[in-house]
Amino acid sequence: MNRYLKLVNFEFERFFRFYLILIGITILSEIIGIIVKSKTYLNRAHQEINVNLMPQSEFIEQFGKMSIYNFSQSGWFMGPIALCIVTLLIYVFFIWYRDWFGKNTFSYRLFMLPTERMNIYFAKATTIILFVLGLVALQILLFPIEIQLLKWLVPSEFRIDMTVPEITENLYYLYLLFPKTLIEFILYYGTGIIAVFVIFTAILFERSYRLKGIFYAIIYVAVSILVFLGPALFDAFVLEGYFYTIELFLLEIGAALLVLAGAIWVGNKLIKHKIRV
Amino acid sequence: MKIKFNNRDPVYVQVIRHFKEQMATGVIEPGQEIPSRRELANQLKINPNTAQRAYKEMEEEGLIFTEGNLPSRMTTDEKVFQAVRSELILEAVDAFVNAVRTINVPLDEVLPIIEQKYKKECNE
Amino acid sequence: MIELKNVTKKFGKKQVLKGVSFTAEKGKITCLIGINGVGKTTIMKAIMALTPIDSGEILINGETLNKGSYEKVTFIPDAITMLPSMKISEAFTFMADFYNSWNMERAKELLNFFNLNETDRISELSKGNTAKVNLILGLALDVDYILMDEPFSGIDIFSREQIADVFTSHLIEDRGVIITTHEINDIEHLIDKAVLLDNGVILKEFDTEEIRETEGKSVVDVMREVYRG
Repeated sequence: MNRYLKLVNFEFERFFRFYLILIGITILSEIIGIIVKSKTYLNRAHQEINVNLMPQSEFIEQFGKMSIYNFSQSGWFMGPIALCIVTLLIYVFFIWYRDWFGKNTFSYRLFMLPTERMNIYFAKATTIILFVLGLVALQILLFPIEIQLLKWLVPSEFRIDMTVPEITENLYYLYLLFPKTLIEFILYYGTGIIAVFVIFTAILFERSYRLKGIFYAIIYVAVSILVFLGPALFDAFVLEGYFYTIELFLLEIGAALLVLAGAIWVGNKLIKHKIRV
Repeated sequence: MKIKFNNRDPVYVQVIRHFKEQMATGVIEPGQEIPSRRELANQLKINPNTAQRAYKEMEEEGLIFTEGNLPSRMTTDEKVFQAVRSELILEAVDAFVNAVRTINVPLDEVLPIIEQKYKKECNE
Repeated sequence: MIELKNVTKKFGKKQVLKGVSFTAEKGKITCLIGINGVGKTTIMKAIMALTPIDSGEILINGETLNKGSYEKVTFIPDAITMLPSMKISEAFTFMADFYNSWNMERAKELLNFFNLNETDRISELSKGNTAKVNLILGLALDVDYILMDEPFSGIDIFSREQIADVFTSHLIEDRGVIITTHEINDIEHLIDKAVLLDNGVILKEFDTEEIRETEGKSVVDVMREVYRG
């Protein structure tokens, strides 16, 4: 346990500088974005109302009021989030492959540590999860700041105030990142965590068997997905809707746990007996 | 202290010989304290096991002795020192005689050459 | 004792180890000799479970390798196994964090011996100094066995001499050492035992002093016989 925590700390620090840069980009982009978007809106209002002499009510009818929603559909908001998501997705792979890079292969050291090798696996997974949660938390902290900023920048007659839950509900796909209930949180993030484990085990297949391993990894991932979707597919195509939603839901959770257990079990076998430095 | 080792004779034998040469020439004196096996290994750049082996053989030959936990010393027996000296002289002469005999040189012819060469070498 | 019993391994179609058996005893320096590519490094990795073997058995003090074994046996590969971005002091802290057997006093002593500065960054060290730090990371562990892969290759003559000095010191004494080399000359009189390897098989395993004593042959003489004969 102790060495697991030290490994988490170690892995965390290894990416921390880069992580701070991501955080910096996100904060800067969103703050600048709010300002730019507000200014653009107000400039247009000024143009239409004061220059083109459009009545205020007509302007609002035509262009709508300014809200965080407008901002959240812009590149200022989507850009950094997409950047963070892509970076972390890449890092899910890089967190392993970096240990094999260069002449100074750190994998030798890692796999010669006097601890269960699975701790390395868990530590890397934990690090990824912490990074994801950290960014989500950052975003949740940024919303109130942005709400306040908008209040300063845009007069109330041109503004719709939204609460944080109202914002996150209207984010389309991104609402997955900000679930409303604990159950949803567990479902979305649980699925995400299982996906990370499955990818990790697939990477270990490649690291153990190299070229042949890519083939094994693809088969392994396909099987995992099939098992995960198994109950739903079976119910839809074979039983044609035999189960109640709640039953299906429980079966799905069972399938998900099965996939997770499989990833850990296979991962343990590979990292212990098959891995090559 | 540095010896150039040859690779065909056991290193421990070469170490013993090194000690014997020092005994014969008076570099080491009777009763003198000798380096521990670790120090010896370090000084001669040899494996500590080899140093150990050399000391063991030397102890058996009566060249060195150890009392309790004290550092090992050279024997205090002057006779042993003389014997070592004689042994080395004999060995050298034997080798010489063997070499000379194979080319069939009479002793009378060799002796003046030896004298001449020896003096020259010593003066240099 | 480290024992290899009939160890085999394939890389793809190439049989790298074809039934390798030998032993390395505690308190002795065992040298694996063979030209590059005969499987020396693979043997080292196999002992440390850094690469799987196809068949055979490897025992360390009579048991197969487990996580606790890494406190008893360590491996010094031919390139340093620390993050290049680390300072020497940070590398030491890392080792102290993870190994109970890490001996900080000894690490500092070695640092002095090699004239290195602990605030130096690993990536900024010369080749010779990097090799020395790499060596310290292994030697400062209080382990029974140390495996070293080509500790003398590709470094300057003075670093070589300093590293050779280590072998005659208390740092190695009483431990079991396995080193690989393709160049025996520098260390011929330092080793206790030679294991000659070619093409994934052990051609000969012998005690160096014994072969000098009984046959009057140097290690190189034996190699000549074995490899050319």
